[in-house]
Amino acid sequence: MRVGLILMAYVMLVARQVHARETDTIQNIRLEEVIVTGGNSSAVVRRKSTLPVEFAGKQFLQEHFTGNLVRALEHLPGVHSMDIGSGFSKPLIRGMGFNRVAVVENGVKQEGQQWGADHGLEIDAFNVESVTVLKGPASLLHGSDAMGGVIEITRQPPPEEDRVLGEIVLLGRTVNGTVGGSVMTGMKRRAWYAKARYSEQHFGDYRVPVDTVVYLTQRLPILTRGLKNTAGLERDVAGHLEYHFGRYHAWYAISDAYQKVGFFPGAHGIPDASRLQDDGDSRDIALPYSTVNHLKVTTRQQYAWASLTLSWDAGYQYNHREEQSRFHTHYDGQPLPEHAPNRELAFFLDTYSSSLSLKRELPEWEQVMGWDVQAQRNRIAGYSFLLPRYDRFATGLFGIITYRPSTCFSASGGVRYDRGIVEISAYRDPYLETYLREQGYGDEAIALYRWRAYAVDRRFGDISASLGIVWSPGVHLFKANVGRAFRLPGANELAANGVHHGTFRHEQGDPALSSERGWQVDLSYTFRRAPFTFAVSPFVAVFSNYIYLKPTGIWSALPHAGQIYRYTGARALFAGAELSFGIDFLRGFSYLFTGEYVHTYNRDERTPLSFSPPASLSNTLSWGGARVRCHAEWQHIAPQRRVARNEKPTSGSHLLHAGMTTLFPLGASRAEITLSLQNVLDTRYYNHLSFYRKVEIPEPGRDFRVVIKYLLK
Amino acid sequence: MKTNFYFLLCLMAIVSFFAIACEDESDTTLPVINLIEPEEGDTLQIGTDVHFTMKLFDNDMLKSYKVDIHNNFTPHTHAASGESTETVPFAYNHTWDVAAKAKKGDTLSVHHHEIIIAGNATPGAYHLVVYCTDVSGNESHVARNIVLSHEGGEHEEHAED
Repeated sequence: MRVGLILMAYVMLVARQVHARETDTIQNIRLEEVIVTGGNSSAVVRRKSTLPVEFAGKQFLQEHFTGNLVRALEHLPGVHSMDIGSGFSKPLIRGMGFNRVAVVENGVKQEGQQWGADHGLEIDAFNVESVTVLKGPASLLHGSDAMGGVIEITRQPPPEEDRVLGEIVLLGRTVNGTVGGSVMTGMKRRAWYAKARYSEQHFGDYRVPVDTVVYLTQRLPILTRGLKNTAGLERDVAGHLEYHFGRYHAWYAISDAYQKVGFFPGAHGIPDASRLQDDGDSRDIALPYSTVNHLKVTTRQQYAWASLTLSWDAGYQYNHREEQSRFHTHYDGQPLPEHAPNRELAFFLDTYSSSLSLKRELPEWEQVMGWDVQAQRNRIAGYSFLLPRYDRFATGLFGIITYRPSTCFSASGGVRYDRGIVEISAYRDPYLETYLREQGYGDEAIALYRWRAYAVDRRFGDISASLGIVWSPGVHLFKANVGRAFRLPGANELAANGVHHGTFRHEQGDPALSSERGWQVDLSYTFRRAPFTFAVSPFVAVFSNYIYLKPTGIWSALPHAGQIYRYTGARALFAGAELSFGIDFLRGFSYLFTGEYVHTYNRDERTPLSFSPPASLSNTLSWGGARVRCHAEWQHIAPQRRVARNEKPTSGSHLLHAGMTTLFPLGASRAEITLSLQNVLDTRYYNHLSFYRKVEIPEPGRDFRVVIKYLLK
Repeated sequence: MKTNFYFLLCLMAIVSFFAIACEDESDTTLPVINLIEPEEGDTLQIGTDVHFTMKLFDNDMLKSYKVDIHNNFTPHTHAASGESTETVPFAYNHTWDVAAKAKKGDTLSVHHHEIIIAGNATPGAYHLVVYCTDVSGNESHVARNIVLSHEGGEHEEHAED
């Protein structure tokens, strides 16, 4: 790839600071770690993790803050964001996304509708203090879904002294007119620590640097350069209460995240210029739109005796998602619903989870045993159909042993066994049946199509395992890990049978699918001696059963559908690496280069896999003084021509970003102002992974962002 | 640490080996549909056949195409159409196998009058979608907003509420 020798970016600085902070944070966490235990504590994972780890601290998050957590994490090597417009995104780690990445907050795995491409992660970005990203198979610690990696949202420990805390953050963005803010207040008093936060943000239609888009050979106007009806809002509240006395430590957390976002009408259905007329309001959210509300209540209870620590994480989550779209049907018999006539789809997902663990720490050995349980219930409503009702139960037992004979060497290995039970209710579409009969189809054909979901009752059992070493002689850090991971097939992969309203494909599940299984080898090497840093982390993953949507070549009888796509297991391969190099020079300057590449291959189909992130490089030049930090980043995204069947190739791009953060001490308090400019040159480019990519809609244009943070001391 | 360095070299070699080993990839190029008739916004006359013309091309081998016509009524216009029980919303779904006719790398011209709009079709806005696949399962489609009318010709129909 041609890399014009370029200006620089800030990313370097950030990344360098991230690395620098990493040690501090480890030490911080070490203090509290005595009381933290269990497979799902990030501190434990990070210190012991034989997998490559990325860490995003407060400063990193502040400098990349957009109001959307995944967009900030995207700046970490190996992490990508799949965007749905300008406000919401979901994460992808080394080419694996959706149900292959687990997001863990407050000790529990976030359970939303990860399988769906058209909604984001329901987490308040203002409420995130630090993030640890584990790249590699982490089924051992988190069970199903963590096969591609884990994004763990970690909290800073409570302040040492008794005090009152306060924080006000304001956010503004020009690309979509975001106005947002967050207020936090907290108090530490003896054994108690309490904190509460309220955040809200509103944004308008996002601006793209084009006048028209071409979709399905039709030229669609983008009036006033704003993408119609992509406005949205987010409103979040969270509370946290912690009690720590002697050997007992407990915390309770509650959070509620509400998001509402409009969909570009051109992306729903056949393009129709009449639906794209300017409605004169760039901030309204008209049909079609989606709403999500995610409620989460969690607690951790922990007790430590000498070398033993017992801890229990329990959580309840309720994810309620709706899609509203003006009533439409292809089956004439279907009447307009009397109640909520525009509610196309609704999902009500309840998740109960518990994880119990016991840790024993000896000078050279450490043993952890754990037991996880998760129960899930999905209910549905709406005049259309996408995903069936289902109940899912999963439980796993694991044991991990770590041997640490010296400070610079440790070896860690573990085994886990999981059981999963999936019960899916069948769903029969009477209108579809009538329609097919009217179209002259026979009973045999009708029998194939009338079930929008098959009844499925399956039991799964899987073993995960991991073995790795961490060796850190002097300025070198070497990690190696071999892991086996698995994932339970999702309800859509087992039971779906019908046209997906977002992809317009007839997607068919396979009730006999086996769970997804693969082995992965990860290596990482880091060299750090002032003023240099160098890191490389290659990996190879081999799947014996990787579930993907296979085009069958058989035409579907359903209106609005081409051929049938069936969820099928294939042998697959992922290989790639992240590379970074940094140097500090003169006074306060630093330069950082990062590059990453993922190669995916479906060995049965002999094609790449879908959603393979393109190779990318970034050069960041930064400067940091006592009160001011600034950076410039030149990012090069390679074209992605290695696409799965019926996926569009995406051209590459060069992007320039810049930013500056200034600190203002205000008496005992402190203010931080971050100004940043994304896509300085207003380049028209596409994100291969974005929801709107298939409609040929480019990514947002130039974005000027202001974040003002006021910290009360 | 020299050993580390050599180890990494080996590793990169393995990764590149996989990358090269995968070069043997199957065709992912989409067939090309050049739909000439009907055109976008065309009004088609109820009770007659559709003048259907297109050119299909694939870098490998074409397999099949499908024509799907379905209504694009809004609930409002739909309800209005329900007043007359004489007409039914028109739906059409038919596939043609062209594997025998297509030659590798050649453009296939399709022209026929096989699509007949039933005489009892409800007038209004419809979608006409043409799908085409090649032998590997690569699929493309094009869509047209069309209007079905008794008049035919240039009559402007209310396509939107």
